Amino acid sequence: MVNSASFFSRWVKLSPSILVILLIVPVVAGLLGVLLPAFGWLPALGEDTFGVRGFEALWLTPGFVKMLALSFSTSLISTFFAVVLSILILGNYFNSRLLKYIQKLLGPILVIPHAAAAIAIGFLIAPSGLIMRLFSPWLSGAALPPDTLLPNDPYGLSIILGLTLKELPFVLLMAVAAMQQREIKQVIEGQYKVAISLGYYPFTGFCKAVLPVLYPFMRLPVYAILAYSSASIEIPLILGPNTPPTLAVAVMQWFNDVDLSLRIKASAGALVQILVTLGVLFTWWLLEQCVKKCSFSKLTNGRRKYADLIWRVLTHCLTLLVLFAIALALLGLVLWSFASYWSFPNAYPDQLVTLHWQSAFKQLPETISDTVLVALSATGIALFFALFALEAEQQRQKALSSAASLMIYLPLLVPSIAFLFGIVWVKELIGVDAVFSMVVLGHLLFVMPYVFLSLATSYRKLDLRYAKVAASLGCSPWKVFYAVKLPQLVPPILFSAALGLAISFSQYLPTLLLGGGRMNTLTTEAVAIASGASRRISAVYVIMQLLLPALGFILAWLIPKLLFRPRQ
Amino acid sequence: MLGLICILLAYCSFINAQVIEQDTSAQAAPAQNAWQQTLNEARNESVYFYAWGGDPQVNRYLQWIAEQVHVKYGVKLEHVKLAQTSDAVSRVLAEVSAGNMSEGQVDLLWINGLNFATMAESNLLEASWVSLLPNFALTNPQQNPAMTMDFGVPTNGMEAPWGRAALTFYYDSAYAHATASSPPSTLQELLHWSMQNPGRFTYSKPPDFLGLSFLKYALIILNQQQEADVFAKLYQPPTVESERQLLSPLWEFLDQLHPYLWRQGRYFVSDGASIRRLVGDSELQLGFTFSASDIPGAVDRFGLPPSIRSFAMKDGSLSNVHFVTIPVNAKHKAGAKVVANFLMSIEAQAKKQQPSEWGDRTVLDLSLLAPDQQLMFKPPNQHPSALPVSAKSPSLSEPHPQWNAVLTEAWERRYGAKPW
Repeated sequence: MVNSASFFSRWVKLSPSILVILLIVPVVAGLLGVLLPAFGWLPALGEDTFGVRGFEALWLTPGFVKMLALSFSTSLISTFFAVVLSILILGNYFNSRLLKYIQKLLGPILVIPHAAAAIAIGFLIAPSGLIMRLFSPWLSGAALPPDTLLPNDPYGLSIILGLTLKELPFVLLMAVAAMQQREIKQVIEGQYKVAISLGYYPFTGFCKAVLPVLYPFMRLPVYAILAYSSASIEIPLILGPNTPPTLAVAVMQWFNDVDLSLRIKASAGALVQILVTLGVLFTWWLLEQCVKKCSFSKLTNGRRKYADLIWRVLTHCLTLLVLFAIALALLGLVLWSFASYWSFPNAYPDQLVTLHWQSAFKQLPETISDTVLVALSATGIALFFALFALEAEQQRQKALSSAASLMIYLPLLVPSIAFLFGIVWVKELIGVDAVFSMVVLGHLLFVMPYVFLSLATSYRKLDLRYAKVAASLGCSPWKVFYAVKLPQLVPPILFSAALGLAISFSQYLPTLLLGGGRMNTLTTEAVAIASGASRRISAVYVIMQLLLPALGFILAWLIPKLLFRPRQ
Repeated sequence: MLGLICILLAYCSFINAQVIEQDTSAQAAPAQNAWQQTLNEARNESVYFYAWGGDPQVNRYLQWIAEQVHVKYGVKLEHVKLAQTSDAVSRVLAEVSAGNMSEGQVDLLWINGLNFATMAESNLLEASWVSLLPNFALTNPQQNPAMTMDFGVPTNGMEAPWGRAALTFYYDSAYAHATASSPPSTLQELLHWSMQNPGRFTYSKPPDFLGLSFLKYALIILNQQQEADVFAKLYQPPTVESERQLLSPLWEFLDQLHPYLWRQGRYFVSDGASIRRLVGDSELQLGFTFSASDIPGAVDRFGLPPSIRSFAMKDGSLSNVHFVTIPVNAKHKAGAKVVANFLMSIEAQAKKQQPSEWGDRTVLDLSLLAPDQQLMFKPPNQHPSALPVSAKSPSLSEPHPQWNAVLTEAWERRYGAKPW
């Protein structure tokens, strides 16, 4: 007991620092590992003079400016849509039961891996996709798929669609999580009530009384998705154009090119990617300032409504559309995974067969066990440090400094393509040959922020009076922690664990690079198979990608129900 | 254990019998001893075989290989599924450049063409080991230069042949019937067919291997009327002059073709496998592949309509051999050699050639085999979608591998960035 208590206090003291170090060191090391080759230092190729050859080669790449424009516009526009849609949904369903339902429905979508979402959307909007099949031939008159440029259109519209659908749940859930923090909740609900009682229409009331308080708490998540989407790989790779592709995809292709001299150009590209991401963030910040300036006078002009009814109908339509698209995509996936031959324009396969599931199941068990093992390790470590760091925060009675909070976000803000290749380079330099632990470390970079952030809200909301009573009765901090605080936290801990597992399941680039191809997880397999020829096997893998995290969340929801059944 | 040793000895004597048939010189004994030593070293090694993992059939076949080498030689084979072979090339390069010279993660690699040329040039490959493999003699390398040349580059014993492929086209006969258009049988006909059926054909974007193969097929056909000495430059490293002479007919042809391609040539799929998927979706009506054997399997697994038929272009088919190689810093070289040798065994090659298994053509010279062994290679019955056995098409050999980079870069310059 004494031992565990001293062990506990030591770990609680150390955790915040360890947490920050775990997140910073790999990112910084990885950035260095890209910086040197970008300026021409790549001894492996006998290149050891510094220069700007890489940047020159980059500038001479056909369509380079278009790449930048594509990365820039798709991330900015998709985030804009996601934020506006979130505000519409929050504002129109504020304090209504619908919000809870929408939250429940969108929650699972948050954890759908990007690769899976991209493949599913591709199935939907392609000329031979489900939407076209539903309207053919009776409406479109098409006996053969039309030759239209969707997906992979040159303007990046398909990318924007994919990213918006993926980002919307994230922004929405982060906003809802912020709204549930006790002090914010009191403020916004109070102000909203006052606004309504003064005759403000609900949506206008929300925008004037709630949003200005709420938005600062949504900022970091919004910046995170801006950063992510400006450098994302899977969605632009599967849905985007390739004459030219987005910058991040091009950089990845150069890194993987057989022509090894492209490494230098790729590293330079990775650095430019960071600039693009910074540019996107800065543009968003400018937008924020503009909105602030323009709307400042409107906040207090006393107008009670701004076409509220139209906004409400629009929100209903958009929400239904999003949910319908998701349902249709899921239906399409299930049909493809059981489809025999499915000729166009039939909306239904010729027959249903279990062949594809059977052939996938020959290879799935090993893949799934590897996937789960990595995810459990990464999530376990993340939970351990997150809990102790939060406990330290509570014992010191002051929140983590904003710098530390920013550090936790660091891996989400720095484009992963920029530092992951560098980590591999450094790893080779030091000569680390551990596959499993490297992959776990790589996953930890992305799991940790989510686990910490999702736990932090509940931990900080904890009613401390119980802990104070226990302490005044002479319990040690350790005993207070495990006997009083943890039992109160079981549901959020399980939820964070499920979230962590889901994030880990969906990692593509870290698994591929740090595992050196020796660690085959569901997601790496799914992307490899998406590059194959079988839509059907691809659908099977995507469905497995959805089922695995869903299982985690179902368990997280069931366990507390079973543990804490009200005693008769 | 004893049982295993007995099996091993029995197998070795079988191998020896094979080798003795081929090689009656006095050199056989030391070679046998060396091979026996390799077999001993390989026992209980884990061999990491990095091979493209995009095809379930190939993956299944490799699972069978893994079971076999485990039972026969005690080698644990792990198939590391790559999305693209260059991932493994960069891995080996990163390891070697970091000074890792004996603990490499890649033991065996499925490779050919440019990836091979790149690795050979950077000294990333183990040299002169292939002739030590007892089964290599079965490919009759003295009579068959394709076994020791990879895209015109001599292999110098750095890679063992595994299978061979030729560019094969396939089309949807139901569509051809409905539109009363027969499929093209030459490159020029392909252009006319595309004009009549706009948006129903495409090729994948270089540097994808299949797309490049199509470009090389066109490059060879379009330059056949040139002077012999100009045409021969295709098989030498490109120069500024030979690029100008040989590439301009290609660009002329592509400029005519592109407006009639799928999506008017404004988007090209990134990987060759997507072509088959799009034919399955009936977005395309004409596709091509380097592994003709995939087609019947894809029809049986519902990936392609039953009305698909394969054919070879009358003006020629680009052909090449694919190999397995061992990186210079591989950790389990003995095990890798044993696996490479088993991949060339009669049993494994015969199984691989069966359309139901993989259908990849054998590299063995069947005339060296006994009649009952030759029978193992006969397909049971012909699938309607398979390439007819009678299909005759002149073999076009691969240009010098450096043309790949030249083609990719020049293509990128001309067509890589479309105006909005």
